[in-house]
Amino acid sequence: MSGVETVEEARTTGRRTRRAPWLAELLRRPAGVAAGAWILVLVVSAVVSSFWTPHDPFEADPASMWQTPSGAHLFGTDGIGRDIFSYVFAASRTTVLVAVSAGLLATVVGVGLSALGSLTARWVRESMAVVIDILIAFPTILIAMLLSSILGGSLFVVVTAVGIGYGVNISRVSRAEIRRVGRTDYVLAARASGVGPAGILGRHILPNVAPVFVVQLSLAMATSILAEAGLSYLGYGASASTASWGRLLNDLQVYIAIHPGSVVWPGLAITLTVLAFNLLGDAIREVSDPRLRTASNRADRRRNHS
Amino acid sequence: MIRFVLSRLVLLVVGLAAASALIFFTLRLLTGDVAQVIAGTQGTAEQVAAIRSSLGLDRPLPVQYADWILGLLHGDLGRSIVTGSSVASQLGQKLAVTLPLAGLSLVIGLVVGIPLGVVSAIRHRRPSGTAISVVAQAIAAIPAVWGGMILIAVFAVTLKLLPTQGFPSDGWQDPARALRSILLPALTIGLIEGAVLLRFTRSATLGALNEDYVRTAASKGMTRTQAVVRHGLPNVLLSVVSVLGVQLAALLVGAVLVEQLFALPGVGRMLVSDVGVRDLPKVQGELLALTGLVLILGFVVDLVHRAVDPRLREPGE
Amino acid sequence: MSSARIRTTRARLLAATALAATSALILAGCTAGSAPNGTGTPDTSATVTVGLVLEPTDLDIRTTAGIALDQVLIDNVYQGLVGRTSTNKIVDVLAKSHTVSSDGLTYAFPLQTGVSFGDGKAMTPADVVWSLEQVKKTKTFVNSADLAKVKTISASGNTITLKLSQPDSNLLWALSGRAGLVLEKAATNDLKTTANGTGPYKLTTWKQGDSIALTRNGDYWGTKAKVAGVTFRYYTSPSAAINAVISGDVDVQTAVDATLKSQLTGVDGISLKSGKTTDKYTLAFNNRVKPLTDIRVRQAIREAIDSKALIAALGGSGVTQGGPIPALDPGYEDLSSVDAYNPDNAKKLLKAADAENLTLDLTYANFYPAAIGDVLTSDLKKVGITLNVKQTDFTTWINNVLVDHDYELSIVNHAESHDFGNWANPDYYFGYDNKKVQQLYSESLSATDEATAADKLKQAAKIVANDAPADWLYTATTLTAVHDGITGFPTSSTSARLDLADLAKSE
Repeated sequence: MSGVETVEEARTTGRRTRRAPWLAELLRRPAGVAAGAWILVLVVSAVVSSFWTPHDPFEADPASMWQTPSGAHLFGTDGIGRDIFSYVFAASRTTVLVAVSAGLLATVVGVGLSALGSLTARWVRESMAVVIDILIAFPTILIAMLLSSILGGSLFVVVTAVGIGYGVNISRVSRAEIRRVGRTDYVLAARASGVGPAGILGRHILPNVAPVFVVQLSLAMATSILAEAGLSYLGYGASASTASWGRLLNDLQVYIAIHPGSVVWPGLAITLTVLAFNLLGDAIREVSDPRLRTASNRADRRRNHS
Repeated sequence: MIRFVLSRLVLLVVGLAAASALIFFTLRLLTGDVAQVIAGTQGTAEQVAAIRSSLGLDRPLPVQYADWILGLLHGDLGRSIVTGSSVASQLGQKLAVTLPLAGLSLVIGLVVGIPLGVVSAIRHRRPSGTAISVVAQAIAAIPAVWGGMILIAVFAVTLKLLPTQGFPSDGWQDPARALRSILLPALTIGLIEGAVLLRFTRSATLGALNEDYVRTAASKGMTRTQAVVRHGLPNVLLSVVSVLGVQLAALLVGAVLVEQLFALPGVGRMLVSDVGVRDLPKVQGELLALTGLVLILGFVVDLVHRAVDPRLREPGE
Repeated sequence: MSSARIRTTRARLLAATALAATSALILAGCTAGSAPNGTGTPDTSATVTVGLVLEPTDLDIRTTAGIALDQVLIDNVYQGLVGRTSTNKIVDVLAKSHTVSSDGLTYAFPLQTGVSFGDGKAMTPADVVWSLEQVKKTKTFVNSADLAKVKTISASGNTITLKLSQPDSNLLWALSGRAGLVLEKAATNDLKTTANGTGPYKLTTWKQGDSIALTRNGDYWGTKAKVAGVTFRYYTSPSAAINAVISGDVDVQTAVDATLKSQLTGVDGISLKSGKTTDKYTLAFNNRVKPLTDIRVRQAIREAIDSKALIAALGGSGVTQGGPIPALDPGYEDLSSVDAYNPDNAKKLLKAADAENLTLDLTYANFYPAAIGDVLTSDLKKVGITLNVKQTDFTTWINNVLVDHDYELSIVNHAESHDFGNWANPDYYFGYDNKKVQQLYSESLSATDEATAADKLKQAAKIVANDAPADWLYTATTLTAVHDGITGFPTSSTSARLDLADLAKSE
């Protein structure tokens, strides 16, 4: 008796968190809006810089090295006379490319692994958990190092390394979430009424775990940008022919003692972008996860769950 | 419980074996070998071949792998193919820099992240709570390399309080000097790590705040803070512990980056240069040791978590 | 009476003059020499710390190539019959003198007496003969090919005689390097981690990844070292290197990055010295692959590159180099007018070769500054060539470029001196095969007097420059930062050799 009711309720509750009010909630959060706006700026920069930049980002002009910001060079010039603003502007393309590709790859790997884990027998799950632990112990850096030693440093290396590395992380985080959802009343009820594992996965587990994945996607994007910066800094990421914020940090780092100001621009760009993805992820999480709702919503919740 | 421990132990061993095979064969995919490095830019093909065979590099791969595993079972992590020095001793020397660095970073991260995370959750509707959360968000978004550069620019270049780079060549003989050398690197990783832990603790504490047992305690006359600290904190800490395993790998990554930036003679830089020279026996020994370290730590964390958290017990226990 | 007074006056005059002379001498002694603030007396118990860049992979002087080993061990621990100064002149070391027969086929080296190895054993003529024969016989020894023309090596009394099958004008030079080093026949030490030689220092310890320590050889056969020891430290990061010399962690820092030299100007107690090298930063073309098989394309690339601007971007630490032979080597001629900077002409050449809008790959090792690749990208773009830059680690570079010849453009610092032979070797990674050059080179080797040998090289170099098989971007000048009180530290050719026999430290 109560099983049927709770399944109905579960279906309704599950769906409610996915309708339009969700988006309205999101827009009510200033942090989320600001984050979304910055990401929009980023995407627009990426598109515009494919056609036009104030100067050629790669044009070296040794006669005008290390100029301070001015009308001609908004962010000044670097050690070989390149316009830093044009370079940072053009590098937004790389950032968007890496974020989207790595984020998607990480989510696919993460969802795939955790779905596999939840569908199979315990011994398969346990051994997979160990394999995953090993892969986690192989930090992204090492994967990238090995890949780039074989293939040469490139964005492909960064995306693959982050995709696998973070995807494995995601699967671990979601494993717990899937297990939690798998023990809720409505799933137990569904199982009792004969719904098969695939049905359980498709109709109950995935929709309820979806918000977690969306959040993870946003975080994966943030992580991939940080990873690209670090890997390009070490030389395993973007090649010198690709504009990247991480590479610029690498180029400028040697001069930190005599030109400390120049590193501000690429570093700030990375920080603001990562912050934007994190804030967006947080906003989505707040909107979709009932446990994080503040007291004003608690009455609502209690009505639905008791 | 005993069955759990035993099964985890078996998995640990299987994991180490799998890791060894993965490491060994993946490294063999690298182009170029150490014989070419030794022979140099003027080396002839015969010189390279002679060096290769004198180092035993022309034996079939499974034979080389078996050789390595046999050595491991005798407790020998292997020797550098270039200098003959033992991997274990080299690793020990470098770990003397990396472990204190990672340890100090972890301490900074925990000390900064957890208390502030709890505070920020308890005060989440007041400006102070929001402010902490926003600052933490901003710091967690800073790339470690840039953060390090900023710290260098401020504390080393401008204020001249700490060294910009490097580590004393006599190691920890002068502990004060060595500590000064790892302070900025540890702050770089630690503060960012702290920001990440802060956000995690905050969300876990927010979750605890909404739990029935906390509200019950509050209705019994405790303040919300007291209620959370007395009843909610153990669960919060458990969640943090479960995340630490992943954070250890993140710390290692951070260590490699800051070791490069601050020119510290640690494990990260040694790995990078050994791979660059293709000293494969040394690299595989180091990688296996590190993987083993993380696996064992994970095993311990799992055991502790399992022993303490009733929610993780399988049905029927 | 008057004579006495005259005598006194004269005596006083003499005394005054003597005093003045002595003061002048003392003052001169104080201010002369390479350390303007040196107070004179060296502290014989001092240890000098020297900062270097690339650490050797192991210490085996026979089988492991690389100048990282030469820097530390040759002249200081190992010695040969002859040696070289920092400006590449041959000097006698273990040989008291040397004579070459007029037909260039017989070399005689009377040996110094009283020479002993670091382990205490005396050096005998048999050790010298054995050392040279080992190098000649063992093809896997570095520079074994240098002794290819030597037919017999023999000792009679205290004189070593080499008989050649053909004249070899390069032999003395080769003997001043790895090929001529004298090791002890009876010694059994592990060459990979220890060294036993006749030099003014002994190798004490090697802390891999950190430092190499030498201590004074108390039983040295020549003038004993003025310092108790030398410790070499390695800094691959240019800013770490500068910090080390500013903080006093090292007394001397070699290869100071010129773009950072402003950190050192105005620092009390440190002076920056400039010196010449044979570090030829070469942009190699793969002459075997299209479109680089067309000389117009190669010339166009050369003319598109503004070397002076490149040197400026690298801090000014170089001189333009128009051909394959640098100023410190025999056969040098200023060829910088060949294919000089002329981007308009470069565009014309590319058009004539029907090679507009090319895309080329540039592969080079990651310990070179990225700035070089970046400036080249910018220069070549202006004539319509798009460069794809790939920086790889050293081993990948050796494997792909040097061994497999799988590249289009590459940048390498050919730091060895007297290495024109690379251009006469059609199998070298350049893939450059010019019979006239090869002929001139072998004529240069068979010349019996230095002037002819140098002249043949000069002619060959001119042909090479005109063939444009590579672009010689620049030859580096090296900056050495020296703390006051340090004297006797070489300032030229420091990447190849560091003869520290005269090193002294005074407070």
